[in-house]
Amino acid sequence: MSMPTVLIVEDDKWLAEQHERVLNKAGYETVVALHALAAIEAIDDVHPDVIILDVLLIGNTAFALLHELQSYSDTGNIPVVLCTNLASELLIDDLKPYGVRQILDKTTMVPSDLVASVQSILHED
Amino acid sequence: MSAARGEHEQLLSGPLVNGLPSFVAAAHELKSPLALVRQLSLMLESGDLSDVEQKRMLRQISLTSERALRLTSDLTKSARLSDALFTLEPINPQQLCEDIVRELTPLFTAHDRDVKLVPHKHPLLLVANRDLLRRIIMNFSDNALHYAEGDATVEIKIGSLQSGKIIRLSVRDYGPALPSDTFKVLKNRLTHAPVPIHARPQSSGLGLFIASQFADVMNGKIGVTKHRDGATFYIDLQASSQLSLL
Repeated sequence: MSMPTVLIVEDDKWLAEQHERVLNKAGYETVVALHALAAIEAIDDVHPDVIILDVLLIGNTAFALLHELQSYSDTGNIPVVLCTNLASELLIDDLKPYGVRQILDKTTMVPSDLVASVQSILHED
Repeated sequence: MSAARGEHEQLLSGPLVNGLPSFVAAAHELKSPLALVRQLSLMLESGDLSDVEQKRMLRQISLTSERALRLTSDLTKSARLSDALFTLEPINPQQLCEDIVRELTPLFTAHDRDVKLVPHKHPLLLVANRDLLRRIIMNFSDNALHYAEGDATVEIKIGSLQSGKIIRLSVRDYGPALPSDTFKVLKNRLTHAPVPIHARPQSSGLGLFIASQFADVMNGKIGVTKHRDGATFYIDLQASSQLSLL
């Protein structure tokens, strides 16, 4: 049985690498996209089970990507975890309609929070 | 005006029309490197990493910390501009840029990228403060690294304008195209407060704001040229007349 695939959308290459390291150690397959356009291509290619999404991306922000995901029936159901420095300024209830299940605060999270978040979402589904 | 009050006012300058107070911009820009350093440190603490992984992560921590420290150092320098004297002297831009390329190469290499100097075909001398000019070019180069897409080499270029009266040092990056409002803001000399750059949302514009202040002290000006695949940030400075006396 193949492991769930997590798409990491993060424009800081070293932080993306860190997220990959944590998720790979927990047994997940990972794919990294450094910006929203690359994320759309990756979503078409790998059909991820969960998306870890930074908010302030180079070029289009996460919100443009969330809108795009909701425009198609096959992508609108992919659960999204926002992982951002702006967590304190976002409300989960406002973002639920866009597929956002959880918000992680980059400034306070610990590496295992990423795994716990992905696990809990996959168990919910 | 006392030094303390001057610094206070400068740190609190803004918010004006679209600007951020400098300290808010600084806090915003420091969040990302600090968050990365924290994540890497916590991972190292947890163990279960190969020697190769540990070394790579420690290197990333060092380079990320240095980047954050450069920003804090520039901010401090910026806050004291009005109280300090900055000696302007003839400077060989080629030598200065070679030093910068040498200093930045480890950071670029760690990101699997290259930075190179495109020298002018004739020797040039400009009038500037060595430390401030170095900080401006470092800032432009750091941005070029951060916003580079693909594997294009970042180029630091030395050129001359107006029959050699003006020397232009520029840094070409291959990041997202800049909106025209950024250019307008730069044309207004960024005199009031940092302004976020919308195509580059991690940036509060603080680095450009500081670079603009440093340029003012040296009677120079910064600007940007838009390209389809990025931008060239530059500083124009007066050429030194000493070269013509040689």
